[in-house]
Amino acid sequence: MAATASADKIVVSGFRHFFDTEDGPVQATGMIDLTISAGEFVTLVGPSGCGKTTLLKAMAGFFRPTEGTIHCDGRLVTAPGRERGVVFQELAILPWRTVRKNIGHGLEIAGAPKAEREEKVARLIDLIGLGGFEDRYPHELSGGMRQRVAVARTWAADPDVILMDEPFAAVDAMTRLTLQEELGRLSLATRKTVFFITHSVDEAVFLGDRVLVMTRRPGTIKAEIDVPRRAAGGRDWESFTTDAEMQGIAERVLKLVRAERGLTPAEEARAAAGTSA
Amino acid sequence: MNLARAPHAPAAQPLPVQAGLAAAVRQLRGVKILFPFVVLIAIWWTIQATGNFADRVLVSPERVFDTMVLLISHGVLAEYISTSLTMIGIATVVSILFGVPIGFAVGANRYAARSLEGFLRFLQGVSGIAWLPLIIIWFGFTHTTTLAVVIYTLIVPIIFNTMVGARAIPEHYALALRSLGAGRLRLITDVYLPGALPSIVVGLRLGMGYGWRALIAAEMLVRQGGLGDLIFGARTSGQIDRIIGGMIVIGTLYVLIDRLLVQPIENLTVARWGVLRK
Repeated sequence: MAATASADKIVVSGFRHFFDTEDGPVQATGMIDLTISAGEFVTLVGPSGCGKTTLLKAMAGFFRPTEGTIHCDGRLVTAPGRERGVVFQELAILPWRTVRKNIGHGLEIAGAPKAEREEKVARLIDLIGLGGFEDRYPHELSGGMRQRVAVARTWAADPDVILMDEPFAAVDAMTRLTLQEELGRLSLATRKTVFFITHSVDEAVFLGDRVLVMTRRPGTIKAEIDVPRRAAGGRDWESFTTDAEMQGIAERVLKLVRAERGLTPAEEARAAAGTSA
Repeated sequence: MNLARAPHAPAAQPLPVQAGLAAAVRQLRGVKILFPFVVLIAIWWTIQATGNFADRVLVSPERVFDTMVLLISHGVLAEYISTSLTMIGIATVVSILFGVPIGFAVGANRYAARSLEGFLRFLQGVSGIAWLPLIIIWFGFTHTTTLAVVIYTLIVPIIFNTMVGARAIPEHYALALRSLGAGRLRLITDVYLPGALPSIVVGLRLGMGYGWRALIAAEMLVRQGGLGDLIFGARTSGQIDRIIGGMIVIGTLYVLIDRLLVQPIENLTVARWGVLRK
């Protein structure tokens, strides 16, 4: 259990998944092998529909892969578990629970004593800057605040591994920058192992210790790029955008991702504007 | 705001006027609700006063009022009412206890939901009253027969709406909770029940509306007490005053049940969680 910094936390080997549909099986991913060390922040970037989410959901234990195995701390993953927390892209906090009760939900399920629960929740609410909103319901919060609650809920349950599926995709651009900085600091301070999926090259490079690039569907991992170790205080966007080394890495990753789309820059711009079919 | 102003200075006292206005607005709203009833009674009263009707055909509003006072003061009405309310109460509790779990069971299974949707709609078409001949043959002219018809009428919309509500809960609510370590029971109490509750309440509201109508109809045929028995029994002895009075009670009770019981539940859940506003 007591893993050292270099210990393998998650090992994916020979992973391949097919979905059953009415028209027969559809291949969701190609062959994937992946090892994530304890305390590492791994980001995965790839085109839409390449199988990123499928891989993450299999790591969470929501289904068994068609082929291959996933181990967490040497144990075969067969079902969801408290040691693997998940933050979804869609809003997954419960609308009928207040901020306080949402964040404390994992602790409540684990049967933690009320005093301990309240103390932990209060600390996290303070950390994510939601003081004064403890007894509000999600519909009374902004999108950024809700996603903070979702992240805090996962953190409060104190899992070893946190799986994040484009958690900031639905948040406005300004808030996203702040949330990314906060997440970087939080993961360093708590030494969690994080697996983070995104569309955004900048986000992947900014957050990751290591960036994985996936091919088009059925996706395989086509490249791995190491990013210089983060400083204790985490990164911030001001220095990231002026750091030549980081920008160079981002450019390399962008080229790798671009090559997967099979689109010219002009076509891509049209697709982004939503005019192309 | 001028804090230096003395609290009893004239300018600081617009309150009585405001309060009076608010009360007047409230009264006006009350009048608006009562207005159609006043018109109806006026028409009824005019027709009765201008025509030359036998008491067996139509009586005046005053006459109905007097009869109702008599029925109330002798405790007769209370007995009929309590029979009907007991029936709808038992039927509601039974329908919730069985309908909600059945709705969840059906909603949890995509194939069951798809195949049962048509069947449930079919059952909604075959009204409880259409079952009465068969049920009377099986159970006779008893409270059991009345209950069977009312439960049947009430439970179908509850099952249907529970199923719809359960299927509308986003999948990742349950997934997120499972990765927080939640077991099956937790998912039911923390995700499925509260998530489907607004829809269940809609089903309950519909069901109680249908059920109340089915109850009165069944009581008319079964004749074992209740408001349906009151008005149908009055028909055989030509007591128009009892029939009309009974109808007024039936409508009034339904409004009271809906406003005092079902609507508060709806407000408590749907409004507070912002499910409707999203």
